[in-house]
Amino acid sequence: MRKIVVLLFLSIIIYTACEKDDFCTQNPVTPNLVLEFYDANNRETLKNATSLYIWAENAQENDSIFENISANSLILPLNQFATETVYNFSQNDVVNQFTIKYTTEDVYVSRSCGFRVIFNDVSFESDNAWISSITPQTLTTIDNQNETHVQIFH
Amino acid sequence: MKLMCKYFISIFLLFVFVDGFSQQQKKDTLATSKDSIVYKSPYGIRVGIDISKPILSSISNSYSGLELVGDYRISKKFYIAAEVGFEEETTQEDFTNSTSKGNYIRLGFNYNAYENWLDMNNEIFAGYRYGFSFFDQTLNSYTPNVVRGQDNGIPYFPVITNTIGSTTSLNAHWSEFVVGFKAETFKNLFISVSGSYKILMSAKEPDNFQTLYSPGFNQIFESGTGFGFNYTISYLIPFTKK
Repeated sequence: MRKIVVLLFLSIIIYTACEKDDFCTQNPVTPNLVLEFYDANNRETLKNATSLYIWAENAQENDSIFENISANSLILPLNQFATETVYNFSQNDVVNQFTIKYTTEDVYVSRSCGFRVIFNDVSFESDNAWISSITPQTLTTIDNQNETHVQIFH
Repeated sequence: MKLMCKYFISIFLLFVFVDGFSQQQKKDTLATSKDSIVYKSPYGIRVGIDISKPILSSISNSYSGLELVGDYRISKKFYIAAEVGFEEETTQEDFTNSTSKGNYIRLGFNYNAYENWLDMNNEIFAGYRYGFSFFDQTLNSYTPNVVRGQDNGIPYFPVITNTIGSTTSLNAHWSEFVVGFKAETFKNLFISVSGSYKILMSAKEPDNFQTLYSPGFNQIFESGTGFGFNYTISYLIPFTKK
């Protein structure tokens, strides 16, 4: 009888000790937009955008995502619950609106990672306040961030 | 006189042998009488219920289940065994919430490795089961994984949980290796504890989602293996004694 109790106790411990064993190691799961700043006059060389403020319409609390930065490469999230994301790039108080339009698709990854969002039929628009041009104008899909999606010339 | 002695000695010698023979004889009769007392063990069908599942159902609001067990003795050591059950479980993951609901059956045999004393009917057994389940899995809701950066920062854009509730009919097949023991507590009433190691053979996957739980198998992890435990009470309906 004592043996039975011990075994029962052990089994219960084993049963409750079965914690989940997989963790989502992929980061990020949903790809962000990768953009690079190039020199408008010398289109082969990267050029830093300085004292840059960036914020999006419809963001949580409308906060800036970047404040007073200097960079030639940026990673920006896209709004997965809309079909467009409007970013404001402000340099020296000149605001340049940069609009990304797309359709979203939820793709299942795994138990621990859940669903990720990929962006299809992407198009870029700029109102060219201080940005002179962008390339490309369209992309078929953004499903990873291994390479630059859009080049910005200024 | 000398002859007389010789005579007596021979007589005694004869008795020694006689005595020896009679001893031998006695031993023989004892052995045969022992053989004639054979403890017969009952053969029949044993039906029962897994008591852990109703208990789990009552304490957990994300689980409900019921399992009936049965076995039939076919020889001294072998039993044909089966379990049928129903399970419903809601799996809450970090980004998804889904419910699996359906029936399962496990078929196989047990081998009793325990030598019983006298008329006891206990078992230490090992066995194999083939498991099959058919069930519906519903993806109740999911939140797209838009976790930002290495430090799992708050997403920049508001996150909304999608409630869709799409249901797919699925099935799963698996193999189980069972070890456990049974003890006869009252006449014909058995309690049993067993554990099993399960290996998934195949599971039908839904489109753009995954089979996370199968009734009878439990959670399906990447490795396709799992453990199960059974605590059963069963009653033997004896047909014959052999």
